[in-house]
Amino acid sequence: MSRRTGITNIEILAGVLVALAIVVAVIALVKLDVTGEKGSGLGKEFIYDIEDLAKIDPNLILYEESAKAISTGFKSARAIAIDFDGRICVAGDKVIRVFVESGDLVGEIKLAGPPGCLTVTDDGKFYIGMKDHVEVYDGQGKRLAAWQGLGDDAVLTSIAVSKNDVFVADAGDRIVLHYDTTGKLINRIGARDEDKDIPGFVIPSPYFDLAVARDGLLRVTNPGRHRIEAYTFDGYLEFSWGEFSSNVEGFCGCCNPVNFAILDDESFVTCEKGLIRVKIYDPEGAFVGVVAGPEQLVEGGTARIDEWASEGKAGGFDVAVDAAGRIFILDTIKNVVRIFTRIEAGK
Amino acid sequence: MMAENNDSVTRRRFLRHSVWGACLAGLGGTTAFLGSKSRKTDTVWQIDPEICVACGNCSTYCVLEASAVKCVHAYAMCGYCKICFGFFGPEPFDITEAAENQLCPTGAIKRTFVEDPYYEYTIDESLCIGCGKCVKGCNTFGNGSLFLQVRHDRCLNCNECSAAAACPSGAFKRVPADRPYLLKRVDHA
Repeated sequence: MSRRTGITNIEILAGVLVALAIVVAVIALVKLDVTGEKGSGLGKEFIYDIEDLAKIDPNLILYEESAKAISTGFKSARAIAIDFDGRICVAGDKVIRVFVESGDLVGEIKLAGPPGCLTVTDDGKFYIGMKDHVEVYDGQGKRLAAWQGLGDDAVLTSIAVSKNDVFVADAGDRIVLHYDTTGKLINRIGARDEDKDIPGFVIPSPYFDLAVARDGLLRVTNPGRHRIEAYTFDGYLEFSWGEFSSNVEGFCGCCNPVNFAILDDESFVTCEKGLIRVKIYDPEGAFVGVVAGPEQLVEGGTARIDEWASEGKAGGFDVAVDAAGRIFILDTIKNVVRIFTRIEAGK
Repeated sequence: MMAENNDSVTRRRFLRHSVWGACLAGLGGTTAFLGSKSRKTDTVWQIDPEICVACGNCSTYCVLEASAVKCVHAYAMCGYCKICFGFFGPEPFDITEAAENQLCPTGAIKRTFVEDPYYEYTIDESLCIGCGKCVKGCNTFGNGSLFLQVRHDRCLNCNECSAAAACPSGAFKRVPADRPYLLKRVDHA
């Protein structure tokens, strides 16, 4: 009798063990994540997190979006300029498109290749930087000139015209080319020159912008050094401003600012890539405030910050301003133009 | 007499042996040809860097104790930046190589001074766990010259790759074994 009881106990124990093993196996199978949905399981120190950096104090934001975004229809929008009549000119794909503020397309200039930059003169001429040369068009889209090519290494990223002087930023050769309006090369500006105390441009990626300020000096970005430099037309470096900082007051990342525009009061509107921010600096380079930050400029704002890496390369937004002080941001990720107006005091 | 006749080489026997020999040689040649051809069409796992989102799953889902996925560097795309956001954390205390300023939790990225203001960045694969943190930093702020690849000096080429199954973006592909890497090019910058 006791032997039978012993056997029964062993059978019960075996049954319990088998049941336990089945339960453990089922739990293990349920918990096993072969699809990666539960993430890597790595600690916080292995996660790239810039969410806090992307947040901007709302008190620093001085502008608000004041109109519906203009869809450019481009697959790859590259540059923006405002013409004398306040029309919005956008370069992209293989065409220049001209829009009015309502978003209606009012003109097009078809090009043989993709443009890198453009500017429009007061008499309505379009100066367009192609990859390695400049082309000039009239307002009707007739090509007036195609200047001499600059070679395979040239990557033209910005162009500005001041009366009879034309300045072209060549990111590939890390140099500014100074022409007259007929395309005759006058001089090269910004090459490393210890005698002139010029450190040279550091252009890690194809973002290299310039503009002529009202003080008669040429302003050029030096993104690898995180600053904007001021040159005379004959190539002397007068001064520079800007510094690296992940804080909102400075320029973040490896190479910023990527683009800028100058307002009528001679303050600067700068664009940064990576942590996409458009900010205002006074004429001496002191931080004034923010036009828009990642929360305003990136779809989904900081909630989508994990996907920014894949958009980073397209995130070099361009910027232009009009006579009324409005800021036109060319969003090169969504290929739209967004218009921002200064928030009135007390609002 | 009969035995003598059986052992002698007749024309018919010679021809039969020759045909057999030719068939065997042909079979061997065909096997070798098919073998070499099938070797050429062998495939291995690789990550498409244009699709990879550097989620970090590769580092923990690979069956190897130390993942076969490592960060690699396309030098031709690199800006050799002084302030590289694949090397420095988003808010570095200082622009020096001190550990607290570095982004990589295992210290797998080394940098060496080239000339002002340029630095060269190299990956120490023995320290890299393939978490992709540097890849995100480089893609977000830089040219994207840092990216993840399956290193075939250690990959077991499992039929059912655990890391591929756990890849949220479908970046894993089978590629020809004689071209086992999907490298970024300068025009990707």
